Amino acid sequence: MGDYVWFHDVSWHASYAVYFFVIGILAGLSFMSYGSWITPGLRPLREKAAYGSIGLLALGGLLLIADLSQPMRFLNILNPGYLNFSSPLAWGALNIVAFGICSVLYILALKKGDEARGKLLALVTAVLALGLPVYTGFDLTVHQSRPVWNSPIIPVLFVAMAIASGSAVGSLMAMGNDEAQKVLRQYMLWSAGAVSVMLVSVMGTTNYGGSAQELTFMIMTTGTMGLLFVGVGFLAGSVAPAVLLFAPMGKSQLVLMASALLILVGGAALRYVLLMAPQQLQTLY
Amino acid sequence: MSEELRVSPIETRGVAGKRRFAMVVDTRRCIGCMACQVACKAEYDTPLGVNRTWVPYKVVGKYPNVKKQFLPRLCNHCDDAPCVRNCPVEATFKVEDGGFILQRYERCIGCRSCMAACPYNARFMLPSHRTYTPITNVVDKCTFCFHRVTQNLVPACVQTCIGRSRVFGDINDPNSEVSWLVATNATQVLRPEEGTKPHVFYIGADRNATEFGRDAYRQPEVMELDRSAFKRNFKI
Repeated sequence: MGDYVWFHDVSWHASYAVYFFVIGILAGLSFMSYGSWITPGLRPLREKAAYGSIGLLALGGLLLIADLSQPMRFLNILNPGYLNFSSPLAWGALNIVAFGICSVLYILALKKGDEARGKLLALVTAVLALGLPVYTGFDLTVHQSRPVWNSPIIPVLFVAMAIASGSAVGSLMAMGNDEAQKVLRQYMLWSAGAVSVMLVSVMGTTNYGGSAQELTFMIMTTGTMGLLFVGVGFLAGSVAPAVLLFAPMGKSQLVLMASALLILVGGAALRYVLLMAPQQLQTLY
Repeated sequence: MSEELRVSPIETRGVAGKRRFAMVVDTRRCIGCMACQVACKAEYDTPLGVNRTWVPYKVVGKYPNVKKQFLPRLCNHCDDAPCVRNCPVEATFKVEDGGFILQRYERCIGCRSCMAACPYNARFMLPSHRTYTPITNVVDKCTFCFHRVTQNLVPACVQTCIGRSRVFGDINDPNSEVSWLVATNATQVLRPEEGTKPHVFYIGADRNATEFGRDAYRQPEVMELDRSAFKRNFKI
């Protein structure tokens, strides 16, 4: 076309998508662990989910720090003299630290067998866990120039994906336990359904937006990105599990496992595309 | 800007007693010599592959009636800068007197949130190896030559501009050249819909050239091939 296009780099690379995936699962597991205090069917998951959650927090934290170009300066983000509260990253850092501390206290209470304190700490940990997908969603939402990201639905979508991923991992952890699977089937079914509906909404509003939105829609629905977003993320990772779990055979162990795996693969693909695709167009500006 | 239109408390345009530096780029006078880019590189030792200012062009028209349209680009030193809002450690900040958006290199953690927030791609990550300066692995950008302006000099790109396409000054001063140019010419800023209130004003810029080019409509895979070809020689 004769244009001299100046290519810029994307700001956030795929490692950030892995972080989103890990933080979603750990938040979901934290919900499951708290759920075990209310729903007896989830009782076998209580300790397993709590340990899994803190293990993934360590992994996610390391990923996040390693992704900084000045990893040793991660402490700057916890320096009260530096903190900028208009940035969601600052709130996110505080949320992660508070979640980590509460998770450790919760596990200690579980080890001691202190039921009263354990239940209270499970609640606090779950509330802080809710903040993790919310803050990661806001990380994207605040960028007003980015199509898809700059939408109020993104934090809600991330919460739904966290519940879906967390219950999918919970389902794999509680394999063979019918009581737990009964509850987790419901979690997976409705969260995968909610994710599907929100993705339709995201695609619709993006397609009917301005030029940047229109181009981003093209990037998200064609080529490799299209295969990942529409094929793996939307159809295989959200719609298919919702349909499978809703169908009469949805209570069988095999379908539950297959749905859990599909949700996890789809969740990873969705996070990748939601992070990378809206950055592609901006690199051409 | 009138008092009523000022929506953010950090905006300084039109505030009495405060300077608000701005640049006017007259694209009709730009000849695409890239001297501004070279002057900037020389001033800051900006490494290969990244630029504080750059001059993309677009060939418009149909042969034999064709011409190149240049659109010099740099940080817009926005009055309501999204990068300042998004930096978690206040490494990016706004100088109240002058409106410069600057970077504290020693505080930057390299999270690239400011890069994601900038609608103009004005920010970039400095590579890990540099020849003359130890400032590496942090985000960098145009400073409007803060160090020169505070010494009553104009920015290096303005100083060197052979066609006087770039004009720099205090837009809050009604007697400055930039005030006069903005008042007496039709100007436009880049992506005004983002609400950032940029302070680089363009005279004679074609709106078609300031939006996403037709190249953006190509398949992402084709763009990726172009991108890798473009970046092939810039592995630092």
